[in-house]
Amino acid sequence: MALDFNFTEEQEFFRQMVRDAVNRLIMPKVKELDEKEEFPWDLWKEFAALGYLGLRHDEKYGGMGTDTITQMIFYEELARGSCGFSMSATMQILMGTYFIARFGNENIKQKILVPAIKGEKIGTICFTEDQSGSDLAGTRTLATKVDGGWKINGRKQWITNGPIADFATVMATIDPKLGLKGLNFYLVERKTENRDGFVSGQRLHKLGSRCSVTGELVMDNAFIPDENFLGEEIGKGVQYAGEILNEVRVMTGMNALSIAKEAMEDARQYANNRIAFGNPISRYQLIREKFAKFWAWYEASRTYLYKCAWMIQNNIPCIHDCMLAKYHSTEMCMYAVEEVMRIYGGNAFCSEYPPQRFWRDAKFLLYGGGTHEVLCDYLGRIYCKE
Amino acid sequence: MEIYVLVKQVPDPEAIVKVKSDSELEIENKYFTNFFDEIAIEAGLKLREKFGGKVTVLTVDNKKVDALRRGIAMGADDAIQITDPALEGSDQFAIAKALATYLNLKDKPFDLIFAGRQAMDDDAGMVGPAVAELLGIPYVNVITGLEVDDPKKEVKVIREVDGGKEILSCSLPALFTCQKGLNNPRIPQVMNVMKAMKAQIKKVDLAALGLNAEEVGGKAAKIKVQKYLPPPKRPPVKMIKEDFPENVKTLVKLLREEAKII
Repeated sequence: MALDFNFTEEQEFFRQMVRDAVNRLIMPKVKELDEKEEFPWDLWKEFAALGYLGLRHDEKYGGMGTDTITQMIFYEELARGSCGFSMSATMQILMGTYFIARFGNENIKQKILVPAIKGEKIGTICFTEDQSGSDLAGTRTLATKVDGGWKINGRKQWITNGPIADFATVMATIDPKLGLKGLNFYLVERKTENRDGFVSGQRLHKLGSRCSVTGELVMDNAFIPDENFLGEEIGKGVQYAGEILNEVRVMTGMNALSIAKEAMEDARQYANNRIAFGNPISRYQLIREKFAKFWAWYEASRTYLYKCAWMIQNNIPCIHDCMLAKYHSTEMCMYAVEEVMRIYGGNAFCSEYPPQRFWRDAKFLLYGGGTHEVLCDYLGRIYCKE
Repeated sequence: MEIYVLVKQVPDPEAIVKVKSDSELEIENKYFTNFFDEIAIEAGLKLREKFGGKVTVLTVDNKKVDALRRGIAMGADDAIQITDPALEGSDQFAIAKALATYLNLKDKPFDLIFAGRQAMDDDAGMVGPAVAELLGIPYVNVITGLEVDDPKKEVKVIREVDGGKEILSCSLPALFTCQKGLNNPRIPQVMNVMKAMKAQIKKVDLAALGLNAEEVGGKAAKIKVQKYLPPPKRPPVKMIKEDFPENVKTLVKLLREEAKII
């Protein structure tokens, strides 16, 4: 039997445990998390104590060393709750610690990775600048080699966890003229009295995903030691970025999948109970069509995302599949949250009802892992074999 | 301290349940550990943390072992599944008989047995007390407080009664069924979740218990389901279109004469 779409009994049990943790810890606070627009430290500590921040890391450092499919089950269930909290947690679990776990020496792993897995230190990754984001070749943050280390100069924008981060994996170039070939990753810690590093710049106030705090990180001639260079050789940063982006895109797709599902489940209840012209509105064909379309696209998205997770897990090249799956899932989510706004009618327009929160949160997913315009341009070019 | 906890996997409160026929329900494949059993597991774990010993979770189920895995994920030391094709169709008394027979095996000394106050599917609340009766040990239902004096082998429990609280004490071994308010069941740590995913569940069949197939299962059932009925559909909303104060008078009249609730 070559094809098997079933989850194992163990995976289903794992899903149930994560779902239960999300139901108990996060679900009761979802509205408050959105409204307060603050990083929820108490929830973070409670969540970190459960150990999920070490999901993909080596047991030697306090992690669980789970496989990709298990991680994606976790991301899917986590995103059912608060999109903002999910963004902060996935930043810590995946992007914020990925290169430290992969390239950091033992000293760095003990100093950074171990407390990060415990939730005691907050991490992030920095790609975006004022003139670059999806266009990585435009990176201008400069890394200059000096005796015993590097000097980093630049300003990173749109950094998830940025205002509260203790450490950051920073993409910087050794020479902007080299384009993609000049890019590398560097570990930079927050500046203290005794240590050079980054400082926080302006904090951004976002439309959605609001309890995940986002802002600028500024590095002004920040010295970092040689061991903070994260890579095997200079100039391979883009290749490394490509390797993490598969996971990031599927993870983002899982977030979209869950927001869409939660929004539609909520709308289903509403449509079954809201009476108009003597009937629940779910009895009207134009309303039913919205659920049918969502259902078809949701199932397709979910199957494709888990196929990508399976390909990553089995080391099958899947860069285009991960782009396609992320694109499909996020666009499906855009459809879902838009239609939920219509199913709720005028009620959708006030904060007392949840559709506006789903709608605002979902928009955040359009940009991470490459804007859809950049993704589609690239994928179209590949498809046409230009 | 040797502690056993009786657990059951029940349909998730979110699962869709339909009446398929007079004697059969169609239940969506979403199951969950009975919430009151989680309170029972937590009670066992708290006592083990205080006095040492071992917590074993125990179920009678031919298919689902997730309640046992949850027990391990929460921190239980061992998990036992009593399973046998002859157990199909068992009522609460047959389930209790299988559990009590297992607990009566001479190599299974126990100090305390916990169970949920009732399963959230059939809401019977009979298995716990029936196990205690069969074992000939004291039991108290629906406890919300618990104090154990291990050296004296005594227990003081609290349960809520109309207008107050009742404090009871008894000697060990004893069985208690647990009610919301006794504790807050812990959320399992991922380390224990992974351990539970890989745990080997020990299986025990009727032969190992020394029970005959005729003593359990559908044929031995003392309780037989006559008929399942779906809950009545919600009647349509009746709008009272009169002005105040006539509308209030009409509402009171309808509540008294039609709905008969005041």
